[in-house]
Amino acid sequence: MNDTKDVVERKEELQERRPDVPVVTPAVDIYENDDEILLYADMPGVEKDGINVNIDNGRLTLSGTRRMEASGAANWEEFGGVEYRRVFSVPQTIDMDKVNAELKDGVLRLHLPKSEAAKPKQIEIKIA
Amino acid sequence: MRTRISEFDRLFGSMDLLRNRMNRLFADFDRLYGGDLQGMWREDYPPTNLYDFGDRLEIRAMVPGLNREDLNVKIQGNYLEINGTRKSDAPEGYEAHRIERPTATFSRSFTLPCEVDADRVEAHLKNGMLTLVMPKPEAAKPKQIAIS
Repeated sequence: MNDTKDVVERKEELQERRPDVPVVTPAVDIYENDDEILLYADMPGVEKDGINVNIDNGRLTLSGTRRMEASGAANWEEFGGVEYRRVFSVPQTIDMDKVNAELKDGVLRLHLPKSEAAKPKQIEIKIA
Repeated sequence: MRTRISEFDRLFGSMDLLRNRMNRLFADFDRLYGGDLQGMWREDYPPTNLYDFGDRLEIRAMVPGLNREDLNVKIQGNYLEINGTRKSDAPEGYEAHRIERPTATFSRSFTLPCEVDADRVEAHLKNGMLTLVMPKPEAAKPKQIAIS
């Protein structure tokens, strides 16, 4: 009977998948009026095709990756390649089809229009 | 009475967990914390990278939300100054739920590793990234020395 069992098990199948650039949360401003919700996120150095906006089941995920270009010898580097990522809960009252975004000067401006039913309506009071 | 092997497994299992957590702790320490790094309340805003390409110096600065009129760049010899103001872009008629993006005036100066030719400096602003290409004068460029 030779039942040897490794006392210390190496769990090699549970490799942690690390992203190639560090993940960081971008600074964000949130505004609202009767028609829409606005989300402005600072993502300097991120190109349009590096941005991913995803809404699923009331969760909005913003992500944008900045990659550094190949460069000469660096005397100093205070910032590097980074993935900006932030997740928000959005109310059900958002009209998913009308969500749009623009990227200008490193700021992502996301428009989340509210569906018609959610817009505040003035109720008229009739004197009977 | 023999201790069951599973007891050792549990012991080493928790040690493995601790070791993984400690490893990640050190990795996280080195990671760039973008939230802090981008804050305008640092004395040295904007964050910059300086590259030496041999015939020129290039400096890149992270300045989201700024256009050309908001920035001011001055160069003299090996002294570089970058000033600017970030204005609020809050839209009219909206209620603000959360404001994290700062609006402030900043000024930062650098001593470059060598003198640059101020007349031939080019500046580009794209995607909130300012790039300054500063060609070096002839005397400052590295030269290949032939060994006879």
